[in-house]
Order: sequence, then C-alpha cells, then structure tokens
Amino acid sequence: MLLLQALLLMGLIAITISIIFGKNILITVIVYNAFSFITMFLYIVMGAPDVAFTEAVIGVISTVYFLMILKNVYRKSK
Amino acid sequence: MQLRRVITVLIMVTILVVPFVAFRVLPEIGDPNSAPNSHVTDYYIEHTISECNSPNMVTSIIVDYRAFDTMFETTVMFLSGVAVILILSNKPKKRDDMFRKFNPCTTNTGPSIFKTVNKDVMISIIEPLILIYAIYVLFHGEVSLGGGFQAGALIGMTYLLDVMVVKRKDRDIFNYSLERSVSVAGTGPFIYAVGGILGLIGGGLFMEFEAIPLPIEAPELHSIGILIVEVGVTVGVMCTIITILKAIMDRVSFDDDND
Repeated sequence: MLLLQALLLMGLIAITISIIFGKNILITVIVYNAFSFITMFLYIVMGAPDVAFTEAVIGVISTVYFLMILKNVYRKSK
Repeated sequence: MQLRRVITVLIMVTILVVPFVAFRVLPEIGDPNSAPNSHVTDYYIEHTISECNSPNMVTSIIVDYRAFDTMFETTVMFLSGVAVILILSNKPKKRDDMFRKFNPCTTNTGPSIFKTVNKDVMISIIEPLILIYAIYVLFHGEVSLGGGFQAGALIGMTYLLDVMVVKRKDRDIFNYSLERSVSVAGTGPFIYAVGGILGLIGGGLFMEFEAIPLPIEAPELHSIGILIVEVGVTVGVMCTIITILKAIMDRVSFDDDND
C-alpha cells in the first residue's frame, strides 16, 4: 500500500513538471485533468472515498471550464 | 486616484498579514494535546450512531455537528458565483484583440472518423444516467457516499455536457439566463436556513432536526431534516456551476452558435 502511494505521489510530481514546461495549452489542460485523476486515486488509497468522489466530479467540471475558455483564446505559446 | 491606489495597497497588505498572524494561534500539525487529537475525534466515532442515527459518519459530522459551518459554506459558494459575474462582466475595450484573433480549434477538428460519431445520441443516453445517479447520491447521502455537494456538481456537469455538445437552437429545455441562475443559486442557502428554522418551530434548537413538528419517529425526522438541508446545498452548488458557465459564455462567444 505504501509503495502504491509512493508511485502515485511520484506521478503527481511528474505531471506537475510536465504542466510547468508544457508548450501547448490544450495538452496542458488535459494533463491537468490527469493530475486530479491521480489525486482521486490517492484519496481512495488513503481511505477517503467521499473526498475522492468530490475530486472526480470537480476535476471534470474545471477541465470543461478551461476547455470552453481555450476554445476562443489565441494560443500564444504554440 | 492616488488615494485609491494607497487604499488598495493597504487592503492587500492587511489581507496578507492577517493570515500569518492568525495561523500562529492554530495548533501544530500532529500535536497530541490539540483538540482533534485528544477528545473530539473519539467523541464523533463513539456518539455518531446514538446521537445522529446516520450510518455515514462524514454526513453526520458535516450536516449535524457542524451544520452552522456548512450553511455558511453554501453561502460562500453563492458569493463565489456572484464574484465571477462581477469580474467577468467588466468587458475590456479591445476585446477583439484579446479573443478570436484566429481560431485553430475550429479549422482542425481532428481525424474525420470523429465526425461520424453521433454526439446527440451519446448525450441522450448518458445524461439521464448521470441525473438518476445524482438523485441517488442526494437521497442516499445519509447512508452511502456523497451528499448534497456531489449531487449538485453532477447535475451541473450534465448541463455543462449539454452546452458543450448540443447547439443553441436545439437547447430549449432548462435554458436559464444569467440573472435567473444567480437568483436560484441564492435560494440554496435559504432552503438550508429554512431546514434549520423548522427545528426552532418545534421548540428545539436551530438545526435540531428531531424537533420538527411532524408525527413521525425521531430517526425518520432526522433523515428528513438532513434531506431538506442537502437539497439546499444541491440547489446552491448546481446553480453556481451554471452561473459561472453562463458568465464565461457571455464573455466568450462561440463559433458554433453563429451559424
């Protein structure tokens, strides 16, 4: 169980680094969704399914907000 | 103008300094003598079943022991929706320079195989399932996972999916304007407060659900009170999500809607 937690936490670090140095905003937004997905797994492993449920729903909603704004923003960092 | 800037800086510095002073009063993380580590947690674990009659300990803590707290959390949700409207309604003058210079997303929609997928059929199958699940989560919040917040977020997510896929002219049911969705979001905390006042009418304390004047047993009264409170949270969260979506859509216009 501890090994699983360590793997998930390392995945979080890797995703954060790829978000910081990503060039394409669209890909960054999708990777941000993966961040919240792995956080959800962490909550389940730590025994908090209520919080995991909330995290799953809110992760989807925030990603949709980002996508709706991105649809009309000029992609500068392309 | 100069005075206004000074006042702004003063307010910002105050907001920055106050938390650093206030956090010193909080107990240290992992301190064995602090209140949550010494007696509060044990009290919750021992007395939840006998005092609140609800199997889900999380729900009983949120809506029972800390009901007053949750009421103002719902109010904070409503205020966040209002704040988003206030910020986004301030339209910039050079709007066309910021947005829509050119739009690469509409020219390239991916491989042509995605155009053959009928998104209306997908949505019409998925949406009822999500809504039924949201109602399940709302009504079983006392027994199983979830509660008012999750149910409201699921219903708001259904609306978001609908807006993403269905074109505006086909979207005639459940099409709220910005003003209406804000006002409905304001009724969420109101429903919550009414659920608390029902206990006062029966002669009990605020949020004492066993005192609701109805001829039913105390455990059932309790679950009815929790249901009223969670409906309030659901309405508040759902309409706040729709409000933020509407505010974004008023600021950013979509190409799909013009044709």
